[in-house]
Amino acid sequence: MKVEKTHEGYFKLVASYRKETGGWAWIIHRISGLALTAYLYVHIYALSNLTKGKEAFDAEMALFQKPLFKFLEWLLFAFVLAHTLNGIRIVLVDFGRGSYYQKKAFAYLMIIGVIAFLVMGYFIFSHEISQIFAGLI
Amino acid sequence: MSFKHYGSRKSGSIGWLLQRITGIFLIFAMVGHYILMHYTPETGHSYEQSVARFSSVYWKMFYLTFISLGLWHGLNGVWSILRDFKMKPWLAITLYGIIVISGFAFWVLGVSTALKF
Repeated sequence: MKVEKTHEGYFKLVASYRKETGGWAWIIHRISGLALTAYLYVHIYALSNLTKGKEAFDAEMALFQKPLFKFLEWLLFAFVLAHTLNGIRIVLVDFGRGSYYQKKAFAYLMIIGVIAFLVMGYFIFSHEISQIFAGLI
Repeated sequence: MSFKHYGSRKSGSIGWLLQRITGIFLIFAMVGHYILMHYTPETGHSYEQSVARFSSVYWKMFYLTFISLGLWHGLNGVWSILRDFKMKPWLAITLYGIIVISGFAFWVLGVSTALKF
């Protein structure tokens, strides 16, 4: 069977769809999934430094304590949260009765995600935050 | 795998099921991983504690499972995204090859790191 070529490109086609909850969740899931897979490669490569001894590893960890990397780590957590929480929704839809409440589930899970994101921000930057308040008092 | 009709010859149901099973595992593993890494800076990021973890048989087993299932879940996800595109067979073979070879290379790198201690 010969498949007719669509005139629009893939991204234009996806953009033209009317998107409700599921459509946005699908897009978020793909983008975060690609980012997390790319990060996993970096993560494995970075941790392979562990075999080079304490000095090499500690120098690397000191680099990751810099504010830029802390911020990137926080951003990474947003991707992890989006992918994990929406993953729960997907499992509920596929294995449970999630299709009856998937829109509500998405809203609640994303609220949990935003709260967890902010709490994690406090943990990551707790040192900086306490310094700011120490300066004020 | 036939690449001429790579999107249609197989239903992909086994990949679909495994993607969910590995995903459920990764939810729990990821929660534990995050608590461990960020509860205190020392538990997660010091050389001594990391080596101590990799020296324990149980932690080693956990990390080998984590690396294997995490990589598989991620790369199977990438491939299922690519399957949505109409690729020419040569492009599909090339991308599939990149996924398999790079995935295997990084799996070896991760596993060899964990097994070193």
